[in-house]
Amino acid sequence: MAVADAFDEQCDYLFKAVLIGDSGVGKSNLISRFAIDEFRFDSKPTIGVEFAYRNIKVRDKLIKAQIWDTAGQERFRAITSSYYRGALGAMLVYDITKRATFVNVSKWLHELREFGGEDMVVVLVGNKSDLGPSREVETEEGKGFAETEGLCFMETSALQNMNVDEAFLEMITKIHDIISQKSLETKMNGTALSVPGGKEIHIADEVTATKQVNCCS
Amino acid sequence: MVRKKVPDWLNSSLWSSSQSSPPSSAMANPFEPPPRAPSPAVVSPSEPSPPSVQDPPPTQRIEAPPSKDHANAFPSAHDVSRQAQLLAELSRKVVDMSELRSLACQGIPDAAGIRATVWKLLLGYLPPDRGLWSSELAKKRSQYKQFKEDILMNPSEITRKMYNSTNCDTDDANCERALLSRSEITQGEHPLSLGKTSVWNQFFQDTEIIDQIDRDVKRTHPDMHFFSGDSQFAKSNQDALKNVLIIFAKLNPGVRYVQGMNEILAPLFYVLKNDPDEENAAFAEADAFFCFVELLSGFRDNFVQQLDNSVVGIRATITRLSQLLREHDEELWRHLEVTSKVNPQFYAFRWITLLLTQEFNFADSLHIWDTLLSDPDGPQETLLRVCCAMLVLVRKRLLAGDFTSNLKLLQNYPTTNISHLLYVANKFRVQSV
Repeated sequence: MAVADAFDEQCDYLFKAVLIGDSGVGKSNLISRFAIDEFRFDSKPTIGVEFAYRNIKVRDKLIKAQIWDTAGQERFRAITSSYYRGALGAMLVYDITKRATFVNVSKWLHELREFGGEDMVVVLVGNKSDLGPSREVETEEGKGFAETEGLCFMETSALQNMNVDEAFLEMITKIHDIISQKSLETKMNGTALSVPGGKEIHIADEVTATKQVNCCS
Repeated sequence: MVRKKVPDWLNSSLWSSSQSSPPSSAMANPFEPPPRAPSPAVVSPSEPSPPSVQDPPPTQRIEAPPSKDHANAFPSAHDVSRQAQLLAELSRKVVDMSELRSLACQGIPDAAGIRATVWKLLLGYLPPDRGLWSSELAKKRSQYKQFKEDILMNPSEITRKMYNSTNCDTDDANCERALLSRSEITQGEHPLSLGKTSVWNQFFQDTEIIDQIDRDVKRTHPDMHFFSGDSQFAKSNQDALKNVLIIFAKLNPGVRYVQGMNEILAPLFYVLKNDPDEENAAFAEADAFFCFVELLSGFRDNFVQQLDNSVVGIRATITRLSQLLREHDEELWRHLEVTSKVNPQFYAFRWITLLLTQEFNFADSLHIWDTLLSDPDGPQETLLRVCCAMLVLVRKRLLAGDFTSNLKLLQNYPTTNISHLLYVANKFRVQSV
């Protein structure tokens, strides 16, 4: 379903999303599983920020998902706050075998709400579901928390490639629907968002300029 | 350029070397002048295998001695003569530091443990006067041993010590057994005590940082046998890294441990541990600790969150890189930051905090570090010039790229000729009048 390496201008939408959560919960492996179908037992800690992308078809639209991966340690949060800018979605990850990483979910959520946009789609992800015997956080707990906070929820295993695509797809589809809804409302109000070629582009502000150069010049 | 002032917390009297021991140049020096070194006995531990083998396991490829040029496994005539010059410099009674710097700046050959000695000198861990080396090393190594005893001891040992000193004056023999059955630990020092000053409370706070260090040390250079895998050797090296980082974190409550410090310690420890001098190799952990402290004294501010928005923090450092680029290549700067909107934080944060250790292979990083450590302008100034050169070397691709492709390129920097990179970086030196 992924189109290998389409140019930005061939996509209908460009979405930015971020992955957050404590150090060692498997953020980088979730992203590499999603973007290049790879899992590493020996992945290095992420320092600062890294990013990956994948093109996906959602409801007949080609979407370029640009996913940002951030470092887990608290020290990096001040720096990473700027990474939330323009993000339409966030995946908040904890490790089902480490309760502390679940406890910290509320801290991360607090930060998301402080720095992220209003309509940001948030998916709570309990990763490492393949390690059932060492489970410290029950599925129901994760689900319950997500319901209370109005988040989507899923348990995944980047190792066994369980629910990884599903989690990302859910996030991307939700973003798409919100954007379409908004776009519709805008049109009804008379101000069209369309750019030449009839495409509608919704993107992170870092990318906006690039797109304008590509599409409008 | 003046070296940045060393901060107060790193000036702790704990490790400042008071140059107290009198020069005893007449005394026999256990550190024999290196001219003897290039005997067959002192080939560096990783037996130089011809790196031309096409398909080695990844670990071997990386741990093989760095070959300067892709094709040639043998050191060039230039390298040989630089090696001879370095050895001659190291064998002087008092090492001429500016001479050493200018030699080391061009890259240090891997043979004969030269790099280990040179780095120790460049970092100021060894004084230029060779006559002082043995006493200085002995002092530092015993100091480190003391740190280990004081800091790495776990609370049950501390409470046992307390218990021993208060209750066991008369009955030494029964102490251990008494503890096993039912030890009378004072109320405040019980593991379940909620007292803020309890050693256990401190212990639980530390546990978080120690867990983090443990996780990261296990993920240090996973592709190298030296650091990773199930061998006893790798395990003992991991333990050494862990000890150093824990002790550093405990002695520097203002900095603690920040992810990425393991990447900075790793090359230091690797180089010192591979010193063919057995005694030096045996004390690599202690020596690496002090070298790490010296190195971080110039970079520490980048790790401190409270300084992020100050003139010395990481953001300011990244801004200086951006200014340097603008100064030397305005067109590239404009395209990168204005047109394609690539915030330099997105790539330079890692470049700078990790001293480029994750951008290149291990051997190439060592080569870059030779220059970082030996440039008289100091490591950070030099690092910024190298980062600027990295941008300029890929300017064509950057100028043709958009946000996505530029960021991708800079977060996965291509393999490059390091000597050329350093040559370009050197051209960005502020021309002194």
